[in-house]
Amino acid sequence: MSDWDIAIKRGIEHNIPRVYKVLKEHPYLEDLARKVREGKIEVLSKLDYYIDMTMKSVESIGGKAYFAENTEDVREIVGKIVGTNKKVVLGKSMVAYESGIRKYLQSKGNEVWETDLGELLIQLADEPPSHIIAPAVHMTKERIRDLIKEKLGVDPGDTHEDIVKVARDFLRQKFLTADIGITGANAVAADSGSIVLVENEGNIRMTTVVPPIHIAITGVEKILPNLEYAMNEALVQAAYAGLYPPTYVNITSGPSSTGDVEQKRVSPAHGPKEFHLILVDNGRKKANEDPVLREALLCIRCGRCHFHCPVYRAIDGKMGDPPYSGPMGAMWSGIVYQDYKPALLCSHAGNCREVCPMKINIPKVLEYLKSKYFESIRKQ
Amino acid sequence: MIEEGQLDFIRRLVFKYLMEDYMPFPVNKTSCYEWANGLNIKKGGETILYTGCSYQLASIGQKFDDFLPKIYKIKGIESLSTFGKKFLKIRDERAIKILKNISLLLKKANVDFGYLYEDEPYSGTILLEMGMLEEFKEYGKKLIDLFNSHGVKNIITVDPHTHYTLYRLKELLSFDVEIKNYLEILSGKDLHSTYKEEYVFHDSCLYSRFLGMRDVIREVIKNAGITIKEDDMITGKETSMCCGGPLAPINKEISEKIAKNRAESLKTVSKKVLLACPFCYVNLSPYVESYDIAEVISNE
Ligand code: SF4
Repeated sequence: MSDWDIAIKRGIEHNIPRVYKVLKEHPYLEDLARKVREGKIEVLSKLDYYIDMTMKSVESIGGKAYFAENTEDVREIVGKIVGTNKKVVLGKSMVAYESGIRKYLQSKGNEVWETDLGELLIQLADEPPSHIIAPAVHMTKERIRDLIKEKLGVDPGDTHEDIVKVARDFLRQKFLTADIGITGANAVAADSGSIVLVENEGNIRMTTVVPPIHIAITGVEKILPNLEYAMNEALVQAAYAGLYPPTYVNITSGPSSTGDVEQKRVSPAHGPKEFHLILVDNGRKKANEDPVLREALLCIRCGRCHFHCPVYRAIDGKMGDPPYSGPMGAMWSGIVYQDYKPALLCSHAGNCREVCPMKINIPKVLEYLKSKYFESIRKQ
Repeated sequence: MIEEGQLDFIRRLVFKYLMEDYMPFPVNKTSCYEWANGLNIKKGGETILYTGCSYQLASIGQKFDDFLPKIYKIKGIESLSTFGKKFLKIRDERAIKILKNISLLLKKANVDFGYLYEDEPYSGTILLEMGMLEEFKEYGKKLIDLFNSHGVKNIITVDPHTHYTLYRLKELLSFDVEIKNYLEILSGKDLHSTYKEEYVFHDSCLYSRFLGMRDVIREVIKNAGITIKEDDMITGKETSMCCGGPLAPINKEISEKIAKNRAESLKTVSKKVLLACPFCYVNLSPYVESYDIAEVISNE
């Protein structure tokens, strides 16, 4: 068995029964998922209106909002805020990866650290992620031990706990001295301008609170009509990822503030003094105009479809263009990179459609992308 | 992964064969209908048994999956089709037996049906599965015309791919026929099998998740007196895995790996595997003892 086969087998054995257990124990989650789908469809049906509302809401709570048409725009905006020779901590963000933010900031002379453990391993190995919520799912614990030994100069020992401890000690220093924290957003509430982030490690909490500047980068499809929907999205995402209840759900609404002196709301307080939200298009708006592709924009990145996909399980994490992998990755490679080839790998087993909390008809989207692929070669 | 040039070559070639001869590969058409010889099935009629040549072509199809990408740079290769169509006769004894069994089971169930013999076309499955929707629609029109010209009103299918293909033709084009699968027709009928061993049933993805036939098939198996073993993590609707078949023309290696993975997990439930699809059989049988449902629910 290859490393991938061993690692994915262990991952599946841990994850799949756990998701079923979570859904059985908390039956209200299925209702929440239905509600989130409705909220997302509402936003997608008036996307420009909600983008506008979100940006106004962010400004009204003292944050700065930007609309980036493509990844070049994202890099430019982030580059201007960060500058050079800074220390940057990153909370896992697929859109930041899509925009090449880590490497871009490093090229500008900044020290940049991924703080999600899986993503840190990816950074240390200089490899693409293999799963959207478990980016290092392809690495066995034996490989991780060797990697840490080689890159950080410490032998963490051979238990999962030992490995986590070494990463914790290493990252704590980075959090405390960082100038800027960059995260994604699981959901954005259009009515309040809040972003919601769900996590278990505590790294996102620190990334969003300890450094004096917080930048959130996310796709426009992450907007939900209001904070109630956005909160629900985080719960649903965590549940279908098999990590429920999530250890932390973070809501960030603009820079830190206090009302303790005569109830006047004053900013900043102990947390960041600046909050920036970058809403990224990069193919999403165009996809939204297409009735088949619009479905893909409903994805909440729970990663459940990956583990139920026979192809993803067999293919060494390489179904889709990073960071987008698995069935959702084959859809998203089409949307943001106009790469339709990953869709050809769909064997239309249909398991992904059965388990998707957003009820996305993934095989249908992939069939459509396959036909777009053939259309493109027919034209040559 | 197959290269762009190879894919385009397969696309053009398969489409050309289909449009010329209603067959995806250049093989002699007798291969498709010789199973019916001697069974006294009437020709045509409003209700027909339609094999879509799936069982008959499954194993040769696998060879073409290997062969076509390798020859795409040879000049003039496309014209070899005339030769193949004349001389390449394939005879798959197992497929013949399965199709005979199916027709006998239907007769026992008092179903009145005909067959198109040499006029029976291939369904176009390969175009649909590879995602060539434009070619599929174009071939689909030809197919519909052919069925209409024979006055066909009801079609009985025998495999999941053909069934799903017709279902998609109805969805994408206007095709006014009733489609029923033989297993749906046999459900509720008192069948009798002499096979008394325990099996694990490998669901076809299409039957189970796209055509809603998961329970119907289990009922047919039970009515035949066959015991099947289940395991939630291996044979559940959401957890059972593909045999890898549909991926073979795109990536042979991954297709085989999926088949091996599937066979390994099935073996943990039972060493004998029952299935209901020619492509599942072709893919899984090198790795596990496999039987088509039509081989064990009939006493022939
Ligand atoms: S497509 Fe569905 S199952 Fe897959 S990651 Fe997105 S929401 Fe989750």
